[in-house]
Amino acid sequence: MPHDTRGLHALLASHHAGGDDVSIELIDSSDPVINLTMHAYGDTQVQVAASGGQIFISTILVPAEQVRDRDGFNDACMRINPINPLSNLGLTSIDGRDVYIVFGELSANASLDEVEEELQALAMNTIDAAQALKPYFD
Amino acid sequence: MSILSKLFTLLRGVATESGQKVVDANALTILDQEIRDTSTELNRAREELTKLMAQGKLAQQKMDARAGKIAEYGRYIEGALAKGDEALAREVAGRLAPLEAEQQTDQANLAQLERSIGTLKATIGKAETQLKGLRSQVDTVRATASVQRAQVAIAARSVGTGSKMGSALESLERIKQRQAETAARLEASEELQSQTGDADLERKLADAGLLQDGSSADTILARYKKPAQLDHQTVEVRQIEMPDRVPSNRS
Repeated sequence: MPHDTRGLHALLASHHAGGDDVSIELIDSSDPVINLTMHAYGDTQVQVAASGGQIFISTILVPAEQVRDRDGFNDACMRINPINPLSNLGLTSIDGRDVYIVFGELSANASLDEVEEELQALAMNTIDAAQALKPYFD
Repeated sequence: MSILSKLFTLLRGVATESGQKVVDANALTILDQEIRDTSTELNRAREELTKLMAQGKLAQQKMDARAGKIAEYGRYIEGALAKGDEALAREVAGRLAPLEAEQQTDQANLAQLERSIGTLKATIGKAETQLKGLRSQVDTVRATASVQRAQVAIAARSVGTGSKMGSALESLERIKQRQAETAARLEASEELQSQTGDADLERKLADAGLLQDGSSADTILARYKKPAQLDHQTVEVRQIEMPDRVPSNRS
């Protein structure tokens, strides 16, 4: 049976219970979202939501207002994207502000191990991307 | 216009205005409409397919029956010819001729029908794939919207603490900070370790009677009694005390 967000939260919470690598909370509303704080990756916050057949995993790379030379940055992002395993760079609008995100998608039928792998890869890729793209940040 | 183009146009249009909600709502409306259209098309194609397959089946039955008749007439002709009744054979052949002509026409029609069925099946397969793609696009839009709402909530929560919207940059800084702290801690513990090592060595040297307490009354007194010899001894002790630091700058 495919995961829904609440079910996935329960699984992740029990998987990480007792450990101090990851803090997990459920941001509860009509559409709940899991917020993970990955302590091993500088407290990178990763949001996870399951909808229908998919699990969507996303983290904020940088708000566009903190980027100087947007053209150069966009070019660099497009070049990094193909060599980024398992996750993608994207531009989205949050609350009217342009924000660059790193995100990945999984089947809602994915195993807990696969979700974990994706989470770790996403956090690592995000830190790597931030490091590589640092010259563009204010 | 493809569905992705529509969504992209929508995203571009609204990004400059305001409100992600408008995008989400409209994107879902567009996708829902596409899903309805594709479903309708799919249902129509399926009905058409059923009709064509039924036609094919009927045509095949008709041809099978006619094939039976053709075989029967064939046997009559053979029988008549065997009896030397050429006139009868000719009369039967006269009945057989239009049947064979009809059979050929029907055969060609059936082949055409089967090609149509094949095309329609491919169309249905394509529509089904498209529908699956659209549904997963709806899932993506829904999940993205949920995550974005959560990110807004998280950002709002951190406003009170004075920090900006949490970004990878801050995480990177934290990692560097922690690495620096870890390095400092490691250095401190190495220093402590080497101090402990020195103490161990000194204790061993003292136990072996090689280390003399330079400040004890006996030593001081001895130094006054035999200054030259003791100076030499002190140097020796120092050399034993720090063997790894000696050669480079004292030899």
